[in-house]
Amino acid sequence: MILSMLARRPVPAVAGLAVALALPWLIYPPVAMDIACWALFAAAVDLLLGFTGLLSFGHAAFWGGAAYTAGLIALHTGLPFPAAVLGGALLAALLAVPIGYLSVRLRGIYFAMVTLAFAQMVYFVANQWRDVTGGENGLQGIPRELFGLDLSDPFYFYYAGLPFVLAGFFVAWRIVRSPFGRVLVSIRDNPARARALGYPVDRYKLLAFVLSAALSGVAGGLFAISHGFASLQEVYWTTSGQVVMMVVLGGIGTLWGGALGAALIVELNDRLATAGFEETGIITGAIFMLVVLVFRRGIWGTVRHLLASRAGASRAAAPEPSDNKPANSDTLSDARA
Amino acid sequence: MVISPRAAASGGPARVRRCVVPSLALAAAGALLAGCGGGPAGGGGKISDGKVVLAVLNDQSGVYADVSGRGGVEAVRMAVADYKAKYGDKAVADTIEVIAADHQNKPDVANSKAQELYDRRKADVILDVPTSSAALAVANVAKNKKKVFIDIGAATTELTGKSCNKYTFHYGYNSYMLAHGTGTALTKDGAKNWYVVYPDYAFGQDMQKTFTAAVRNAGGNVVKSDPAPFPNDNFSTFLLKAPGLDPKPQVLGTMQAGGDLVNLVKQYNEYKLRDKGVGLAVGLMFITDIHSLGPDALSETRFTDFWYWNMDATNRAWADKYQAKTGKRPTAVQAGDYSAALQYLEAVQRAGTDKSDDVVKQLEGAKVNDVFARNGTIRAEDHLLTHDVYLAQVKAFKDVKEPWDYEKILKTIPAAEAFQPVDPACKL
Repeated sequence: MILSMLARRPVPAVAGLAVALALPWLIYPPVAMDIACWALFAAAVDLLLGFTGLLSFGHAAFWGGAAYTAGLIALHTGLPFPAAVLGGALLAALLAVPIGYLSVRLRGIYFAMVTLAFAQMVYFVANQWRDVTGGENGLQGIPRELFGLDLSDPFYFYYAGLPFVLAGFFVAWRIVRSPFGRVLVSIRDNPARARALGYPVDRYKLLAFVLSAALSGVAGGLFAISHGFASLQEVYWTTSGQVVMMVVLGGIGTLWGGALGAALIVELNDRLATAGFEETGIITGAIFMLVVLVFRRGIWGTVRHLLASRAGASRAAAPEPSDNKPANSDTLSDARA
Repeated sequence: MVISPRAAASGGPARVRRCVVPSLALAAAGALLAGCGGGPAGGGGKISDGKVVLAVLNDQSGVYADVSGRGGVEAVRMAVADYKAKYGDKAVADTIEVIAADHQNKPDVANSKAQELYDRRKADVILDVPTSSAALAVANVAKNKKKVFIDIGAATTELTGKSCNKYTFHYGYNSYMLAHGTGTALTKDGAKNWYVVYPDYAFGQDMQKTFTAAVRNAGGNVVKSDPAPFPNDNFSTFLLKAPGLDPKPQVLGTMQAGGDLVNLVKQYNEYKLRDKGVGLAVGLMFITDIHSLGPDALSETRFTDFWYWNMDATNRAWADKYQAKTGKRPTAVQAGDYSAALQYLEAVQRAGTDKSDDVVKQLEGAKVNDVFARNGTIRAEDHLLTHDVYLAQVKAFKDVKEPWDYEKILKTIPAAEAFQPVDPACKL
């Protein structure tokens, strides 16, 4: 399946794959795994934010709900971890159906607020249902079972977990490229017109919401297995905020940009904390402000735009956000960075 | 391999693929090889990586920063200095490093910091770790990495109960000891009826349970116990209700800690509950709490303490050394950090290596008598340090003779009585 992506967009796909494969050699492997999980989470949120125009402020519910579910499955059934991760994703998708059903009718800030409220409910349940979730102690000692293989070394676990992230990215990319994805973009740009053309707008939005939640669930489940731990932090609202920040930093509507934002935030937090600087919020906040004020397309979006305006001088510039033909070369510059 | 966008555009995708893919593959292969070369070095010596690394993982900026925090790190450094002074050239560990990290009292942060300390910063032991949820997270990491973890700052009995493991030790105090000491002593002194207020999270619920059991076992009665939100600013609901309960409680037992405790005590004084015949007992209190509230706010409140700097000449001498370095008097947890670090190094000395399994063997069953622990034993069955603890009372304001001189030790609770029997749920 990755092959079809390779065939259609060879250079960025190969470059992305190479970076993904080389990552744990270049940086501390658990941090590499965190980046991979957050990157997929960011792509899932971008699917909703960048391609459907819905700013969800409650995706922690899906990430965290899946983290707890995956943890519980791994702890109590002893199934191999891929089953736990997929179980988590399934729960996230199921959870997204009622939440999405009730919230996609709303727009803008109201949608954000309602999703936030639902996520807080999930947080409350996770906090109070101590017998199952461990309350504030969290779910501890989640095993990494895979047919008896020893995955205790985070370096090897990275390669065991990476296929899920890549598959998630492929699914997201496929969705965006599909006719369904085109309809989502049209809903984002002009919902009234999409409705007039006969598309059931709310149903499309709901499906996008559920798909986004399921991908977030894959990321969250993997995160929990990777840490051997699921805590309240996973369902806390700051997690929802953090992933939106990653998407905005990387570039809304770029899909891959979120991965860049995730790498930046996770690696920066790690570097600063290791250097003994604990107030990482000051730095990430400053970077966020800088990007929002100066590079409104996000890091990836800006680079792509600059390259597009140079390379496309002879051609008519196509302003459509999902059209990333000139992205070939900016992917390379990222690969080198 | 800088490829200008113009060239890429004019050359078309085919050429891009031809020249880029191999170079990328080469780059990736290069990275792989570089990684192979720099693989982990096999430890052949008796001391892993040629040095013993003591890591202090605690709250360096939040609510418990005063209880241990950087002072705890300083205490561990003092232990290292004392170890070196004692053994000189004979020291097994000639290079000892003390490192510190902040876990912000969050279990997820504690979890990843602990992994990082053991793996990346080569810690041989992690010390301190206040906040029960964080401590349990670190215990899990210690178990997986087979590295020693000595908890001093956390209260949960689970560390030596159902979550116990071969590499985890609990050193200093726990919720059973606090509840048992204060609850039993006060009930036997005539406070038969209790009203318990506790913060509604794991620590508070644990304390409420153990406290109620201790009071009942001593022949008393808990009239009512109420959960309060955590954190909470306004305790008036509970304080107004207290004198009117039937039967009227003689003691209000509060399980709040840190900022919540400060709020509750201030409001307790504003409502003048002491004058209305409702005394105050505190589940968990550190000397820093008394310091920030002022001794008059807590005057004559009784609680269980597990070390006090001005108890005797030995403690005082150490506290003077500590004050010379930090400008403050040490808390019980900081003294515990010192002692735990010292006993760890002594165990390394006896074992002749810092290999976890050998050090654990030396620690198990060790008798500890130092500035912190009196009549101490590290139980081999569950890795709990049992030692003498004390029923203390906050001095009346007029009796306070110098800064930090806040406590009067009423009696010593012997090591054998102070802590719970071995929990059968613990399987090392």
